[in-house]
Amino acid sequence: MTSYGGYTNDYSNTSYGAQGGAGGGGFMTGGSQNSPSGGDSQERNDTLRPVTIKQVNESQESGQFFNIDNSHVSQVTFVGQVRSTSIQTTNITYKLDDGTGTVEVKQWIDPDQDESSRPRIDDNAYVRVWGKIKQFNNKKHVGAHFVRPITDFNEISYHLLEATAVHLYFTKGPLTSKDGANGAGGGAYSNGNMGGATGGLGADGLPPGLSANARKIYHCLRTTQQSNEGLHTADIAHRLQMESADLAKGGDELLETGVIYTTVDDQTWAILNTSS
Amino acid sequence: MSESTPRISSQYLENFQHQTVRVVGKITQLRGESATMDANGSITLQLNRDTHLQLNHACEVIGKVQGDLSIRVLTSTDFGTEFDLTAADAVVDATHRYKEIFYGDGH
Repeated sequence: MTSYGGYTNDYSNTSYGAQGGAGGGGFMTGGSQNSPSGGDSQERNDTLRPVTIKQVNESQESGQFFNIDNSHVSQVTFVGQVRSTSIQTTNITYKLDDGTGTVEVKQWIDPDQDESSRPRIDDNAYVRVWGKIKQFNNKKHVGAHFVRPITDFNEISYHLLEATAVHLYFTKGPLTSKDGANGAGGGAYSNGNMGGATGGLGADGLPPGLSANARKIYHCLRTTQQSNEGLHTADIAHRLQMESADLAKGGDELLETGVIYTTVDDQTWAILNTSS
Repeated sequence: MSESTPRISSQYLENFQHQTVRVVGKITQLRGESATMDANGSITLQLNRDTHLQLNHACEVIGKVQGDLSIRVLTSTDFGTEFDLTAADAVVDATHRYKEIFYGDGH
């Protein structure tokens, strides 16, 4: 559990191919499957995200990608129990259940591979899957790169907690603490999909658990010159290029926690300055 | 979704009567047709003929919570003796706190 501090690292856009000459190493599935022209941008998005089966089934298709918590996912990994197995000539289809839902996982059979070298997977066994979300006739399945049996059952707990931590990272932002010990987290976060303007906010003494939008609004109020009446929401929306619904939601979080307050009317907000 | 089986421990039993759930705990007593499991408090399990439990092993059961808060076991998986029940408890807590990624809005 102590390793959870590691989640302040960048989960958003890991670039496996970008470290100098390392392009040939690691798992480069994205690169090898795409045309040379498209390969570059795809590669940069080649992330591996731990998820629950419910998240797979509820992922949103957008173009060639799927979105979970409003960010692109390419590879996913999850843990589940095999409910049924059907072996065809070209692929094996497993139906997996992790308690949150069920999904079909298809693994293509490599004809050159010796059958006996494949791990034996019995019904009701717990397995770990890595793969890509696919959609066919409005039904999602996962194209698996590998499926391996789980031997240490603690991996199930570990996976579910990791999936939760990553989900919270994408919906509420990185771990922050009140004393602002979050230098690395803020920096990594600014590379993420959720907006670049929020880096380094941890030092502002905001309570933990605020959404990215709430943090942006607070930052805007803090850094924009204003009268003691504060700023009108329309002004904030314009400065941040934020939808009014998102703005209202983020503002509500800040009002609820008492770090901002309304001044001349409900739509004009100012920071409640407790330190001075 | 009807296919989900929420993870619970003993203190959640009342909220999940007549539902199919998952519980991980340590088997503390075996009495033929029933058994007792410790999952943050003790739970009575009603076994079926195919259930094979081992004393002092951690075990995951999928079963239906009865009106008397015992669980009628449908399937069980032996998790052995090296399983960290504290971590499993943290999972139960997380799944109820952040149910948006685990279970439908029905609960």
